[in-house]
Amino acid sequence: MVASTPTTTEVVAQALAGKRLNVASLVFRATLLVSLLTSLLILITLLVSITAGAVPTLRERGLDFITSPLSLDPSSAGVWSGILGSAGIAALVAIIAFPLGIGTAVYLEEYASRGRLTNLLRTNIRNLASVPSIVYGLLGLAIFVRLVNLIGLAGTGSGRNILAAGGTMAVLVLPIVIITTSEALRAVPQTIREAGLGVGATKWEVIRHQVLPSAAPGILTGAVLAIARAFGETAPLLVIGVATGFFAAAADATFIDRVTGSYTALPVVILSWSKQTDVRFADTLAPAAIVVLLVLLLTANATAIIIRNRFDRNQQ
Amino acid sequence: MKSRFLKPFTLSLALAVVATACAASASTPSPTSSASSTLSGSVLISGSSTIEPITALNAEKFNRDNPNVSIAVEGPGTGDGFKKFCAGETDISDASRRIKAAEAEACAAAGVSYVELEIAVDGISVLTGLDNDISCLAFKDLYALLGSESTGFTSWSDADDLAAELGSVVAPYPDVPLTITAPGEESGTYDTFISLALSPVAKARDTDKDARPDYVASPNDNVIIQGLSSTPTSLGWVGYAFYVANQNKVKALEIDGGEGCVFPSINTIQAGTYPLARSLYLYVNTAKAAEKPEVAAYVDFYLSPEGLRSVSEAAYIPLDSYDETVAAWNER
Repeated sequence: MVASTPTTTEVVAQALAGKRLNVASLVFRATLLVSLLTSLLILITLLVSITAGAVPTLRERGLDFITSPLSLDPSSAGVWSGILGSAGIAALVAIIAFPLGIGTAVYLEEYASRGRLTNLLRTNIRNLASVPSIVYGLLGLAIFVRLVNLIGLAGTGSGRNILAAGGTMAVLVLPIVIITTSEALRAVPQTIREAGLGVGATKWEVIRHQVLPSAAPGILTGAVLAIARAFGETAPLLVIGVATGFFAAAADATFIDRVTGSYTALPVVILSWSKQTDVRFADTLAPAAIVVLLVLLLTANATAIIIRNRFDRNQQ
Repeated sequence: MKSRFLKPFTLSLALAVVATACAASASTPSPTSSASSTLSGSVLISGSSTIEPITALNAEKFNRDNPNVSIAVEGPGTGDGFKKFCAGETDISDASRRIKAAEAEACAAAGVSYVELEIAVDGISVLTGLDNDISCLAFKDLYALLGSESTGFTSWSDADDLAAELGSVVAPYPDVPLTITAPGEESGTYDTFISLALSPVAKARDTDKDARPDYVASPNDNVIIQGLSSTPTSLGWVGYAFYVANQNKVKALEIDGGEGCVFPSINTIQAGTYPLARSLYLYVNTAKAAEKPEVAAYVDFYLSPEGLRSVSEAAYIPLDSYDETVAAWNER
């Protein structure tokens, strides 16, 4: 720093402080750096140890590991059943939670009059977002498992199926979708709404053509976060009866059979592998499955970022 | 304007729909399906996590020959398994102990009748670190170190007085840290350990038969092994299969049940001379077995030579003779 020409800021700072060293500032900066490095270190240790375990399996098995069904034989076991289950749950979450969540947020932000009741609602929704996921599992068992039984979609597992899981996960991520959408809507300048109403557009037209498009990037980010949460969540699934051991769907099962029958999910596969007697499952296959899960989540997040960026550009 | 906003949403929804469709319709590749069987339907199994590996291995083998049968195995624990079994939610329940009277009543109340099939034996292995000098513990020692009166002991030597009072021949113990990692109360392995090792001593002293509450409990046996191998003076217990798979990390102690020190091995466990040996069972809902041919076929396969080979393949110990088990199944 001494060798290069000092910037104005530095010159002024030096002149003001005299020749004294600004100890407090240095300590503060060092503390911040240490916090950054600590969190990075934890993350890197985790990633390195998982990747180290995963690489041999992934290199040896490659795509076969992704597309193979579950097995008790470590050399042929794969994660396909888990991926299918998780994808099904994520899809149901998208179908149920997005319209509901976005609708709720639009009503709360654009239509509901601001009063004690809406404030109470808002606080409650925020609280719901921090309720432990196991509680949603119990709720899912009491409501969704019973519901699929009631409407005759219980299948072979007395309602412990992907429909109940999707419903439970949708409720679990609903607060996230509502909060992020609300925030995105609130960030839309009031002037846009006023301009729209000023030229004679109806409220619906303003929301439809002005507010929602401006808020879309934020809404999409929330949606992807919600999907990622549903993809990685394990505890509620265990409560509502995901198959935690071996699972195989019948080869000739129809669409209805599969949606209403037993299922498993990727994080549950990781959990069950970590418990196997054969240590190869815990030492090499579980890390490989974790890497698959991480890659899927990263892809989801990256897709969201790309869509959002494209959106931002279109908007301008 | 219209397309600009709606496109990503419709797109993601469309993707979601396609994903569900794929999730539901893509057929799971089955590598060696001989596809000779015409069986279809489903088999649902829950219960002990100890027996899960055997049952799951048989499920996989069975599914290979019967690809059109959907089959799910889970292992939340013997007690949880019986809850579902007696509610009629599962066809078969794995159990690492016999059904309790209260559970049998629940089954009877729900009209669930069942047949009990003994399928393997297991020896609860008491483990410590590789470098521990102690090689044999009697039930008295286990009670002094793990029983309800040992609550708060942080060093092996803390248990000296209690052990001396009980008449232990191993005590005094070394003054080294006592770190305990073992299964939690939900586990059948916990129940069996308590009833075999701790409860006789506790009954004689008229104290609580349960283990001390202040230890690290885990439902995951590999986590228990990890805890036990991290300190040389640790103490804990797991099923025999997990000891066998981790012999390079932990040391099994000989157990004295009153007739001298016995090391857990296939021979001592099978012969029943190992004091902490226990039987593993399969409970089959007889009505379901009659009504669903795939359930009966699965149990038939389980008791066939190929199915019983899974017992040793999953690192458990087969029975001396399966005559009684097969007879019980045939008489259902």
